[in-house]
Parts: sequence; structure tokens; C-alpha cells
Amino acid sequence: MFNETVLKEIDEIKGRYPDFRSALLPALYVAQREFGWLSHEAMSYVARTLNLPEAMVRGTASFYSMFKHKEAGRHLIQLCTNVSCMILGAERLVDFLRTKYGMEPDNTTQDGRFSLVIMECIGACGTAPAMLVNTDFYDNLTEGKIEEILDKYK
Amino acid sequence: MIELTIDGKKIAAEKGTTILEAARQNGIKIPNLCFDKRLKPYGGCRMCVVEIEGGRKLASACGHPVKAGMVIHTNSPKVRRVRQSVLEFLLVHHPLDCPECDKAGECALQDLVFEYGKPETRFAGEKKHAPPDVRGPLIELISNRCILCGKCVRICAQHQGRGALGIIGRGFPSVVQPAFGEILECDYCGQCIDICPTGALISKPYKYKARPWFLEEKENICPFCGVGCTLTLGIREGKILRARGKEGVGITDGNLCGRGRFGFDNIYTEKRLKTPLIKQGDEFRQASWEEALTYISKVLQAIRKANGPDVIGAIGSPRCTAEDNYMLRKFMESAVGSKNIDSSEALGYANALKTYNLSFGIKNNPAALTSPLGKDVVFVLESDLSITHPVFGLNILQAKREGSHLIVADYRKTKLTKHSDAWLNLKPGTLVALLNGIMKVIVDRGLFNRENISKIEGFSSLEKMLNEYTPDKVSGIAGVSGEALIEAAETFAKAPKRLLTMSLSASENTKGLSSALSAANLLILLGEEPSSLQILAEYCNTSGMLEAGIMPLEDAKGVMDMLYNPGSLRALYIMGEDPIVNMPNTRRIIETLKSLEFLVVQDIAMTETAALANVILPASSWAEKNGSFLNSEGRRQEIYKVVDATGESMPDWQILRNLGLMIGSNLGAKSFEDLSKEVKNYLSQKSEETKKDIKLTFHPTHYRPEEISDKEFTYTMVTRDVLQHSGIMSTRSEALRLVQAEPFLEINEKDAERHGISDGYHIKITSRRGSVYLKAKVTDAVPEGVVSTPVHFSSGMINELTHISPNTCSRLDAVKIENVQNI
Repeated sequence: MFNETVLKEIDEIKGRYPDFRSALLPALYVAQREFGWLSHEAMSYVARTLNLPEAMVRGTASFYSMFKHKEAGRHLIQLCTNVSCMILGAERLVDFLRTKYGMEPDNTTQDGRFSLVIMECIGACGTAPAMLVNTDFYDNLTEGKIEEILDKYK
Repeated sequence: MIELTIDGKKIAAEKGTTILEAARQNGIKIPNLCFDKRLKPYGGCRMCVVEIEGGRKLASACGHPVKAGMVIHTNSPKVRRVRQSVLEFLLVHHPLDCPECDKAGECALQDLVFEYGKPETRFAGEKKHAPPDVRGPLIELISNRCILCGKCVRICAQHQGRGALGIIGRGFPSVVQPAFGEILECDYCGQCIDICPTGALISKPYKYKARPWFLEEKENICPFCGVGCTLTLGIREGKILRARGKEGVGITDGNLCGRGRFGFDNIYTEKRLKTPLIKQGDEFRQASWEEALTYISKVLQAIRKANGPDVIGAIGSPRCTAEDNYMLRKFMESAVGSKNIDSSEALGYANALKTYNLSFGIKNNPAALTSPLGKDVVFVLESDLSITHPVFGLNILQAKREGSHLIVADYRKTKLTKHSDAWLNLKPGTLVALLNGIMKVIVDRGLFNRENISKIEGFSSLEKMLNEYTPDKVSGIAGVSGEALIEAAETFAKAPKRLLTMSLSASENTKGLSSALSAANLLILLGEEPSSLQILAEYCNTSGMLEAGIMPLEDAKGVMDMLYNPGSLRALYIMGEDPIVNMPNTRRIIETLKSLEFLVVQDIAMTETAALANVILPASSWAEKNGSFLNSEGRRQEIYKVVDATGESMPDWQILRNLGLMIGSNLGAKSFEDLSKEVKNYLSQKSEETKKDIKLTFHPTHYRPEEISDKEFTYTMVTRDVLQHSGIMSTRSEALRLVQAEPFLEINEKDAERHGISDGYHIKITSRRGSVYLKAKVTDAVPEGVVSTPVHFSSGMINELTHISPNTCSRLDAVKIENVQNI
């Protein structure tokens, strides 16, 4: 459950809007940040905190693709495979992540270290292929470079 | 008003009205699939598109406000083409399983396709192939048929204040379901079934029962609570198969709760009485009407001859029609010669009438269902009105949505506390102390017109009494903080338009006459009219029964004698009531009934009380006779015979008239029409009498708890209603039993942990009067130290534990509980 500081943060969010329903998306971001993903318990908890029906919270959360509904690893890799990245070998990189690290798109590695999500364009076509690890941005990717980068994330 | 033209017709509409509403108000039909007047505009289905002259593109009529001079075409070729395409898209996904769909024949989608559709489609797309969700007891979700208009989701969240359903997911795979795909556990009001434009939400008890075009639809008034909604009954081959609400029909405009929608099947219970029964030894044997009535008339006459009429009494029924109750009184007065008539409402709504009389000097103060609307503050007094009067509860929620400040004083979490602005979480039964505390704040801070109010009789004694109710002291009694109390007092006193509302019934033990008197004191103090006190009568004809004269006159015996004083009577005639289950202190009642020489019970079904009778007479149910009910508003609504009587049963009034003739007294009423006219005259005469000038009086009432928990009996037991049931009649409904078939004891999580109790464990609960066994329901809805249970179920016999006290602030019982799961 949320600690005091987070509850204060949510109170502050609630104060920004005329009704609690409007605070739902920001509150879900906070929950995802705190718990790593949106479990049923987390969504129920957000519902209770905002005095909203659970079905409304789940309905909203399930609409937006950037909310995670499965337990995620310690680090989230978001790799782009849109046109520029694809032409410059992003699909090979997916295979590399699969064979070297045992990652599957939309899944988490067995050791809970990485989750892999295939992203739509992240606006780095000029320096493709590109990816995000958590909130850190990396471009001009090669297999070797990925290995080097991921070493930093234990 | 704004003037505009729709389809060549010049119309006027209020500013802010949408095109769709303006059209509807003027009888112009614009097709739609996602609009409902109870809901906010949604604009999801795009069927209501219209052409506005000078506009760049088509506008959806449901979300577009009218503007002066608009020229609108609702049925131009362009509009029709677009609607055709919308339907073409919908049919890409919607299965054409109409042959086996319950909705076919009254399906909005089907009707629109019939009107606008074209034979071929340009698209091939996926259909859903999910199995229907049949897990819930009353409502089935068939997502394959869903067109995602969201009406069910919205009516549940916006209108019912529940939010049990959501649209989960995005795009084609989206599905309407409870939050996490669990079994739908909701209020089971079934409003989503009525509102669904397709067959995606259907009533399980009605599934595959009849094609709609074979149903004959007849309207009748709901036989459960005091709201008096109109049920549209679907009948086939003489059997009621379903009930639904229809917009524009009845005083609640088609809104229904689950009891009305699903509970009508109680008339088909196997416990229905089909012939008169006479007790022989320990058994009942069937008898003819002639034999039974002859027997009763002989015994009653013999008792009267030996002991005079004063040892004969009768109990009326808030479930029977005004005509039935009128005839019971006439039978007692003319044929028997006794004035000993009373009802279970002596412990309930009769206290409201007493309050109106004592505090305002008026005989009656009928409620108004729409009274919460437009009030600045609505203050709910320890009453779960969303449960006892569900559709009135909807009006409270609507008032809250429209900006009223909602204060709820209640010991437990309810739907109303969830939606409230302030929840005064008081200890059960301490309402009188709380109200006195609020008055004390108002008096101390001068929030009332002292000059005028101090002239009212009883003011000085009220002021003196209030000295004992300082915020600190009230806080100690009621457990509500002093700050919350002061805030509520100030908000309520300063509001320009305000309302106090509550229920009073025999099944609730947290309130009594004192509670209603305190509420009246508060309103008089603030210079309010009696209409700002809204006490809802509990049952379908509580008001009609009392108006028909079912209450003891001053020198006559009431329920306290007739049911709680062994030896007071020798013969008792009970019509449509089961005091053993329904009224407090079962043992005392049984003792009293057993002390009688002769007991007649007239009911629609076998009851615990009937089992003690010498003669049982079978009465026709509400759907099998003509008559009238007076709802909480005192509004007379006629009910009709829509199906044939069960077995040899007869309307109550007819039985009593015949019995009167046997005794040698002609009570008139050759036909129902005769009687109906007589009762109508009687009621209108009475309502003339009640138009008296108001005379205000303060009746200061102290908080005096009767029974408080002690070292041995550590818990306070509250009796209350559950949403699916109303009295005991609904417990004979198979459909409602699917939701709640047995009694339970709600207990707080922490208390449960202390006793090692989990959900469903068997618990022995003991009061100073007896013990019963119940299953536990562990919940955070009740506070620690309080347990709560419904009284409806004859299998529970909760009233073995309870005691009676007619004129106090509560009838709470102190109990102890033991975990007997593993014994």
C-alpha cells in the first residue's frame, strides 16, 4: 500500500481537479511507479483512495497501453521496431535479446531482471535503432553495444 | 427559450437543451443506441446524427446544444445514409443469433437495422466467440452481442451509484464486465438489462421463457417497499414471466430495483396456500370455504358471547390493499364489535404519525419521492434508504450529483455514506444524542431565529435539556468528533433549503419514536415546514393500511397487548402478517399466541405464525386481485388482477365480507367496485380531516439507551434490511433467494480475527432472551463491537434475540457471540 509521502502526493493530485475521477490517470501513474506494475490489488487500492468504482479504474487502466498489467522486471527495456529501426536491424536485436538474455517481447526474464516491450516509434529515426532502458535513452544500437549497456543494469 | 426548426416544425426549447432532447420533447424521434435521459450525453453510437443547415458536417444530436435559429433535418437522405453505414459497421461484429436471443422482437438494434439496414455488407470482420458469462445469479452477460454503447456501465456508475461494470480493454477485444472479470456481484437491480439496446445483458430467470411477441404486458404496482414503482409485467398463458420498468411509466419513470424486477415470483412458491386448512390434533386438514368460515364464525360468536368482544383482536397487513384493511376494520367493528386492531407498523411508521401529531399538530405528513432534489443539504438519519427504498435512494444520489451537500449519519458503511460529503460515523442507536448535540450547537451559536422560535411551546424545556448535550459529551456518547458535529450543525443550519430523511420500521432496531421526535425538534428549531422531514413508510401499503384505520383507538388493545401480553385476548385474527418472524421478541409472541383459545391466520403462503393457527385461510396475492396501495407519498395507486387466483384463494376483503355474512353482519361490498368506491370516499374524507393548521411543539427527548453491552454481552446487535429483501414475502422468491437465501451475521474483521472466525463460519449468538445460529459474514462495513443481521428469514429467527419497547430511541440488543464452527 502507499506510504505517507505517496498518499500526500495523491492528495495533492486530487486537489487539482473538481472531481476525483479526473485524478485517476495521474494516480495510476503513481501506482505504477510505486509498485512497478498495476496489479488488481493496486487498482483496487487506487479505486478506494479516489472513491471510484473498481470497474472504472480497471476500464481506464486497460485502455492505455503504457500501463503494465503484468508483473515487470527490475528494468524495462523498450525497443523500437518501427520502419527506420527495422531497416537498420532492430529485428535482429530482438533475436539477440531473445537468445542472449532469454527475453521475450511482453515478458519478463526468469531472474526478474528485464522486461522487454516492443515500442512504437520513440522519435530517434535519425540515429536508429534505438531503445529505452527504464527512462534512459540509447541509440545507434548494435549487439555489442547492447551487451555493454545492459551490463550496467543488474 | 430558444426557437429552432426541426424537420420543418418550429419548436422552442430551453437554453442548454440538446437537439435530441428538444426533438423528444416535441415528439420527433431521432434514433439512438447510447442515449438515456438519466445519463450524461455520451455520443458513442453515432446513430443520432442530424444535419444542421450551414454546418460543415453532421452533428450528433445527443451532445449538441440547441442554438437560436437552427434548422435541423433528422431524416434527410444524407443522414439516413450515415446511419445505414453505422449499422453496417455494428453488424460486422454483432452476431446474427436473433433466433435464440431473448431480446429479439424488442431489440433496439434489430429495429434500427430493420428500418435502416441494407441487405449486403461491404465488410468482413471478426465476430466474438466468448461463452456467455452465466456465473452470476440473476444477470447473464453475453459479450458477443455487445455493441459497446456503455449504457449499462454508465447507468450502474452514474445513476445507481454502484459502478459494478466497466468496459475493459480497448478496441475490438473490449468487453463489458466487472473490474477483474470476476462474478458480477452487484445490487442486482437489473437496470442494465432494461437499458441494454441488444441482448448482451439478459435476465437469467427469464432466459428462453418466451418470445416478447407472445407476452402480454400489464402494468401493476410493485408489492414490496413504500416507493410504489410500476412494474410492467410480461405474462404468458396466465403466468408472470418477467417484470421490467418502462420509461414514462409509473411514478418512478421506469426505475426499478431488484426486488420488484425479480421478486414477483414469490407468488409461485410451493408454500402458497391453496385451500382453507383446519387444525385437527397437531395436523392441518383441508377444508372447504363453507366449513372453515362456519367454524370460525361459530367459535368467534361463542367467545364473544362468553367474554364480550373485547377479548377478540385483529392484526392488519401493510402488504394487503387499502380495501382489504378497510374491510378488516369494518369486520372487527361491525361483525365482531371490537376495536382491538393494530399492525406491525406500531413499531414502525405509526411512530412517524405520532411525531407529526405531537410535533406539528398534523395527522399526516406524506413524503415526496422527489423531495431531495434541489435541496442545499440532505441529511440522512441512520437510515440505509438505498436499501429500504432503493428508488428513493436514487433520488438522494441524484440530488448529490446535482450539487446537494449530503450528510449521512450511520453506524455502518452504506452506498449513501460512500457518496456523502460528510459521514457522521456514529455508534448505532445514538441518533437522539447526535441530534440533541446538533441542536445544542445551533442554540449556542445563535444559528436560529430566537425571537420567533422561543415562543414555541416547549422551547424552554428543550433549551434546558440541551445543556446536557455539549459537543464533548455527545462525542463521548455517539463517537462522532466534536468538530464533525459542529461542522454538520453549521452546514445544516446555514443551508437555505434543507431536508431530513429517514425510515422507521419494525425490522430496524436503531431508531424509534424519540429519533423521529428529535428530528422534528431540529427542524422546528430552524423554522422549517413539516415537509422537510421525510419519513418513508416501509411497505407497499403501509400508508394505506394506516389510513384505512388499522391502529388501535385510545382505549383499545394494540400489538403490545395482542402479541406481547399472554391472556389479554382469547381470539386473534391475523391477516397477511407473520409476527413470529417479523416482529421482535419471538418467544413472547409465541407464548401469547399459544395462550389464545382461537387463532385465525389469513395469508398467501404458509408462515411460522400460521403453523400455530386453528384455521388458516388462503388469500390471493397482489397480482391476483384488484385493490389499491398507498405509497409513502400517500398516493393511491390501483393494483389489478393480472393472473388467476392460486387454488381456491380469495382476496382478503372477500373472505372477510363472507365471514361477516356468516356471523350475521352484512358488511356491504357486493362487488369490488362497491367496496372500491366506499374506500375511496372514506380515504378522501380522511384526507380532508387531516388538512389542519400546523401547531408546533417541541418534545425534548433524552438519549436513553435501553440495553447496553456489558462484560458478558459485549456486542451490540443491529437488525436491518438487506437489499434483496423486503419483509418476509420476498424470501419466498426463488430468484431473490439465488442472491440471498439465508440469514447471516455481519461482523467486523478485527472482531472476527479475535474469535478466529472466517467468512461462512457458524456462529452462536446469544442475547438475554435466547440463542440462534448464523453464518458469519466478515466485513469492514460494520464497526468493531457491532454485529448486524437481517430479520427477513424464517430460517434465522433473529427475533428470538430481540426485545420490544415501543417508545424509545432504539431497540438495540446486547449479545455475545461464540465461534461454533468446529464443535
